[in-house]
Amino acid sequence: MKTLKLALLGGALSMSAMGASAETFRWASNTDPQTMDPHAVNSAPVLSFLNNVYEGLVRRGQGMSIEPSLATSWAPLEGENGWRFTLREGVTFQDGAAFTSEDVMFSYQRASNEAADVRSWFAPVSDVRVVNDFTIDFVTTAPNPLFPDSIANFMILDKGWAEANDASLPARDAENFATMNVNGTGPFTLVSRDPGVRTTLSSNANWWDEASHNVSEAVFTPIGNSATGLAALLSGEVDFIQPIPLQDIAQVEGRDGFKVLEGEETRVIMFGFGHEHEALLYSADVKDANPFADPRVRLAAAHALDLASIDRVLFRGKIETASQLVPAGISGFSEANQDRPAFDPERAKALLAEAGYPDGFSFGLKCPNDRYINDEALCRAAASMFAAVGLNAELSTGPVRDYWPQLRADDFDMYLLGWSPGTFDMEHPIRFLLHSQDNDKKLGSWNFGGYSNARVDELLPQIQQEIDPSARQALVDEVVAITQEELAYIPLYTQPLIWAAKDNVDLTQRADNFFMLRWVTVN
Amino acid sequence: MVYFILKRMVQSVFVMLAVAFLAFSLFRFVGDPITQMTGVETSVKDQERLREELGLNDPFIYQFTRFTGDLLKGDFGFSYRTRQPVAKMIASRIPATLELGVVALIISLLVGIPAGVYTALKPRGVLTQTILMTTLVGVSIPTFVIGIMLIFIFGVQLGWLPTFGRGGTVQIGGWESSLFSVDGWRALLLPAITLGVYQLTLTMRLVRAEMTEVMRSDYIRFAMARGVPTASLHYRHALANTMVPVITIIGLQFGGVIAFSIVTESVFQWPGMGLLFLESIRFVDIPVMGVYLVVIAFFFVLVNLVVDLLYVAIDPRLRIKDVS
Repeated sequence: MKTLKLALLGGALSMSAMGASAETFRWASNTDPQTMDPHAVNSAPVLSFLNNVYEGLVRRGQGMSIEPSLATSWAPLEGENGWRFTLREGVTFQDGAAFTSEDVMFSYQRASNEAADVRSWFAPVSDVRVVNDFTIDFVTTAPNPLFPDSIANFMILDKGWAEANDASLPARDAENFATMNVNGTGPFTLVSRDPGVRTTLSSNANWWDEASHNVSEAVFTPIGNSATGLAALLSGEVDFIQPIPLQDIAQVEGRDGFKVLEGEETRVIMFGFGHEHEALLYSADVKDANPFADPRVRLAAAHALDLASIDRVLFRGKIETASQLVPAGISGFSEANQDRPAFDPERAKALLAEAGYPDGFSFGLKCPNDRYINDEALCRAAASMFAAVGLNAELSTGPVRDYWPQLRADDFDMYLLGWSPGTFDMEHPIRFLLHSQDNDKKLGSWNFGGYSNARVDELLPQIQQEIDPSARQALVDEVVAITQEELAYIPLYTQPLIWAAKDNVDLTQRADNFFMLRWVTVN
Repeated sequence: MVYFILKRMVQSVFVMLAVAFLAFSLFRFVGDPITQMTGVETSVKDQERLREELGLNDPFIYQFTRFTGDLLKGDFGFSYRTRQPVAKMIASRIPATLELGVVALIISLLVGIPAGVYTALKPRGVLTQTILMTTLVGVSIPTFVIGIMLIFIFGVQLGWLPTFGRGGTVQIGGWESSLFSVDGWRALLLPAITLGVYQLTLTMRLVRAEMTEVMRSDYIRFAMARGVPTASLHYRHALANTMVPVITIIGLQFGGVIAFSIVTESVFQWPGMGLLFLESIRFVDIPVMGVYLVVIAFFFVLVNLVVDLLYVAIDPRLRIKDVS
């Protein structure tokens, strides 16, 4: 397996172009950020956009690693669990106010409030203490080696500004000042905002870090229709667009002056099962049993899938097959468990016969049709491959706004899911997808099928608290081995990331699909 | 006359209530707003709390009465997606949709009526056959295909016109207008043509059919026999009588143009109400969807009223009846 392509295409070049003349840069994406408030909505369009304006204590570099941002260093607390952050001195917000630990404290209180959608990041935090103007302690309930990584998108607001403008809490019902206005420390500042139409940023001359971009003004337009977006790029009205559909790659590559940027997103696409269901819901022939409760049947389903054909026909050779719930390159990836069930219809049939279903059976397969690249086509292809071994999938697809409620209501026999680890660590999918459902402890919240293994549940807190990397990896390896053995999910592939830009634009395609203006150079 | 208008206004309130009721009963099938409002990491408990706070667990009738009650008080609520006031969001999108609709209508009339007259007067001409064939093709292709074709020809290949958005707009009072700058018109042209094609064909065929009919009628024959000059015959006597049914149909269609500009707005990323509605469906933004549908219902009622009034203005016989 090739390692994750982190697409550092533009990174190296952008350095050489420093000092080039200031440029206006126009870009488009398919979703407008819902708000300018960094704590109100925990969604990729918002966090990606606002990372240009606001900053966190730490930030992610071009290769996704954590690096100093508003904190210059951090170290575990002595004598108790948690982390001490040493803050950068001399940083000012865009309105000129000085950045201190009080702002971090205020932002913590704001972001962990009930009105904030990002509060889950602070679930492990029991206390926050301001030590002095440039030192702050985050105390956690248990050792938490991953805490700095988990708050890379925790953005710091100016306390004085938020309080003066009545925006001490994120807007939950009605808008407030922070919904439409910003005051961050980041490389860009907001000039104007017309939601759903146009948002304009300009370069922050007082940014503390050395700017490696040459963008003086950046104009963002959401373009929902992908054909319109492509036309906007090809006509030269935008310099860059994310994402473009697979079928448009040839269009862009076939024209002079444009380029396609390809990489692997960290999102793994998988099939999940109704593990805890007593019986199939959508079967014509098996009424009072749930064949998928038998690991042999799940393995048979995995052996039925011909991913090479799916890659060739549906994805033009752009996907990487997946063996586990994170792609290679993500911390915690289990090198020891890199095999996935091969395409082997004969073995699938044998397994089904062994499990007591020599003639197969029918079941319901649910898939979204607007969430992942080619999701509906994938499910159609998979359904015909299942049928070839006797697993007759009755496919039903729907928009994602309708899909999650169905999954949450246990209304499926088998379903499609994609997962991108928010912390870029294997612990994330273990916590959300593999741990038993436990709403009180906020664990297993996306484990729709109710997969449950006592040993996995036992290992998760150990993984969360283990500081020694190799001991931790051994724990993760055990979880991956167990869930592969039991086939909790069928991991399929990592989703490709496809952006397009004019030839004269250098930029960095980060694997989390975030687009950072500070790495853009217009030549 | 005042009584007539008042009566229509009262009727419109009931129409809007009915639309709101229908819309509201459908919203439950659109999806779950909470999963669209929160991130993947948000706990199930926090989602439930939010659902409770927004009143989404309340019975349907209760939610509906609360919505209409707030509407009657002038409180349009806040968007689930952007948290902005819905009234402000919709108001800011009205100019774009109206200007697009009106310009599309004007294009369809300016081209459709002369073409209709010409094809009626010269039914066997080569040009007539060409026009009829072209418009038939135009009306058979779906709007979004026409839009994409125009974009690729004039935007991408020729590079003459912008491919998306409104271009340069001018702020006049609270009204953001495309009509007062060259850039604005350049951006308006393609979407207006796309939206107007169907109207144009309809207008042309209607004028042609009516005109053919009128030209065969007795009073035209008598006028011809009396030696009334051809131009006066065609345009003063025949065309005026053709226009009565045409205005009715075109007027009623205009409501549809506003309502169904959704497709055109989506193809051209035209920031009107239709685009806002589409975004709102994606995010299950119930307050915006509800108010949008009520506003569209209001437009329909208003357009019908205007058509009725125009009818009176254009046909003297109706005025006499009104006086008696």
